[in-house]
Amino acid sequence: MILEQLAGNLIQGLVLGAVYGMATMGLSLIFGVLKVVNVGHGAFIMVGAFVTLWLFNTLGINPILAVPVAFAIGMGLGFIFYYTTMQRLIKAPELATLLATFSLGILLEELIKLIFGSEFRGYNWVVGKINIGVTVFPMAKLYACIGSALIAVLLYLWFNKTRAGSAVRSVVEDSEGARVCGINVGGAYALSFSLGIGLTVASGVLLTMFIPVGINPYMGGGYTLKAFVIAVLGGLSSPYGAFFGGLVFGLIENGSYTIFALLPGVEPFALTRFLSFVILLAILLIKPTGILSRK
Amino acid sequence: MKKSYFKTALIFIAIIGFFVSANAIAAPKKLVIGHPACLSGKYAKAGEQAIGGIKACVDWVNNVYAGVLVGKKRIPLKYKYYDCESKKESVTSLIGRLITVDKVNVVFSAYSSGLTLRGAPVAESHKMLYMDHGGANNKIFRQGFRYIVQTIGPATRYHEGTLNMIHKIDPTAKKVALAYEDSEFAKMVMHGAEKHAKKLGFNVVFERTYPKGVTDLTPLLSALKASNPDFILGGGHFEDGQLFNRQMADLGINSNALSLIAAATLPAFYKALTSMAEGVMGPSHWEYGVKYSAQEAKKVKLPWIGPSQDEFVALFKKALGKNIIPDYHAAEAAAQVLAYVLAVEKANSIDSDKVRAALGDLTFMSFYGGWDVDETGLQVGHSMVDVQWQDGKRVIVWPEEAQTGKPCYPMPTFAEKAKGKVAVPK
Repeated sequence: MILEQLAGNLIQGLVLGAVYGMATMGLSLIFGVLKVVNVGHGAFIMVGAFVTLWLFNTLGINPILAVPVAFAIGMGLGFIFYYTTMQRLIKAPELATLLATFSLGILLEELIKLIFGSEFRGYNWVVGKINIGVTVFPMAKLYACIGSALIAVLLYLWFNKTRAGSAVRSVVEDSEGARVCGINVGGAYALSFSLGIGLTVASGVLLTMFIPVGINPYMGGGYTLKAFVIAVLGGLSSPYGAFFGGLVFGLIENGSYTIFALLPGVEPFALTRFLSFVILLAILLIKPTGILSRK
Repeated sequence: MKKSYFKTALIFIAIIGFFVSANAIAAPKKLVIGHPACLSGKYAKAGEQAIGGIKACVDWVNNVYAGVLVGKKRIPLKYKYYDCESKKESVTSLIGRLITVDKVNVVFSAYSSGLTLRGAPVAESHKMLYMDHGGANNKIFRQGFRYIVQTIGPATRYHEGTLNMIHKIDPTAKKVALAYEDSEFAKMVMHGAEKHAKKLGFNVVFERTYPKGVTDLTPLLSALKASNPDFILGGGHFEDGQLFNRQMADLGINSNALSLIAAATLPAFYKALTSMAEGVMGPSHWEYGVKYSAQEAKKVKLPWIGPSQDEFVALFKKALGKNIIPDYHAAEAAAQVLAYVLAVEKANSIDSDKVRAALGDLTFMSFYGGWDVDETGLQVGHSMVDVQWQDGKRVIVWPEEAQTGKPCYPMPTFAEKAKGKVAVPK
């Protein structure tokens, strides 16, 4: 029975981990290219959740179709925030960008609260279930997992097979060298920031496909914390590393619950959180570039 | 000469008498209720309801009841509130501000046990009457606070009705699972439920907590499923209750009954979950449809005060400017206004000590039901009702004397609900 539960939880963890990974790719991309830690990361996930909610509840649009819409909105927001705020702070001390992204997060939360109110909302997209013996999956969760993996592959292809992707990679390697070679470094920064925000907002859609309730302006805080752990796990500046970090995190989070539940007198969820942050500290101390990083 | 001395003495006595009596029953121009309200943050939903309830009853007291009678003078109520953002640190600073800057006469607590408990020492340090309409945790009343009085029913009694109902209608049900938020409030509720369940002969086959702000309950629910309970009691607050129900549906975990505290009774719960919420129950302090009235009060020999249920609903809608039916968060906050009014009149004073003493002796009935507190300020006069979602409507299913419909037991499975089956009593 315990083994069955463990297997079920690990599979659930893997599926959730793919979405967690996708939700961290934007954070890693922005840090990798601009060296900016987006403390307001969770607020952008929340925007994606509200885009889904609004499209589904008012226009009846399928959450899968909400992914490109949210991505486009995220890209738009990214360009606006880059040119109005981040561009001026790119060379400023790190504290300035930290505070700026923190402020942007609060700004978004309050703006969404003003428009939608602060109540916890949800939507009900019923697309069937699949029973794999040890556990049951709503199809929406599988779609979210597949969508996440697909976006990770597309990002990989964009980075490695397109001129724009190569330009961004060259800026990451050596921004001065890239400038000398005629690459528009400012443009690469703007594109990377917007792409990072676009991915994060799109991940908000996928997260609601996994958990379509509890949508409210302040829902992002918990995801920001998880994203930092995953980003460190996968290598702070590697978006694909973040995706795999998400998978590992999902497995640890769900798998360790079943094991900790065997210990008498403990609250397993508390220990899974404890374990997550022990891992974070251990990686920072032993291999600060992340266990999945080649550096 | 003698006459003139006498006259002067009389005038002198009259002047002194006037000032003494004026001071003795110093009737202010208005009585101000201060409230660190949860307008935003995690308790915003309950906070909005509480504000609507208070405003509705303040309106009734000022315009129908003609004000609070203190020293032969009718004084209007005023309601002063600030947004505490559902945060503990804001609650303490706002209570300080309400008492020292706004000079309120009474402070109403913020919603939830945690926020109520956080504000209590501040009110206590100012010797200010502190009325609790949203903190059900019994522990609040074991701290030795002198100025706190409760209107909401205590947490330990939340599930008594649910357990009594299942015990009566299904003698074969033996196994109960308890899964709840790791918060003071939920722990107290479940502690009371566990005690009562054992008393009724139920076997607690699963008991586990989950942290506040949890975003995935899958591992816990998988373990719960393995325990194969007959019915489940769970929840903590609105957001985790929503998640609990949703993920039970996702994992196809069926039971004869599911009762979730603080979430299942709210309209937003059904709005978010739609058919998945069919048959789900929740204990409530009050629901629209309960049959408390002036006639009912007469029957049980309790004094009656306040608007009728329908009058309250109309005032509530007017207060919020929204066409929504109030829930128990609104009703208990409103009943608290009525308790304060009666206590001030009984004490014939606005002094916190005197009003607190009067509240200790007060028993009454309003549209909210009975009201009575013990010597610690804990509410002992109010009974809970159990509500179930049946075909998209909230039906009061327990206790039998308050029923607006029979319970649907067992509730439909999640597979049946997905096919459109609604909860209908047999």
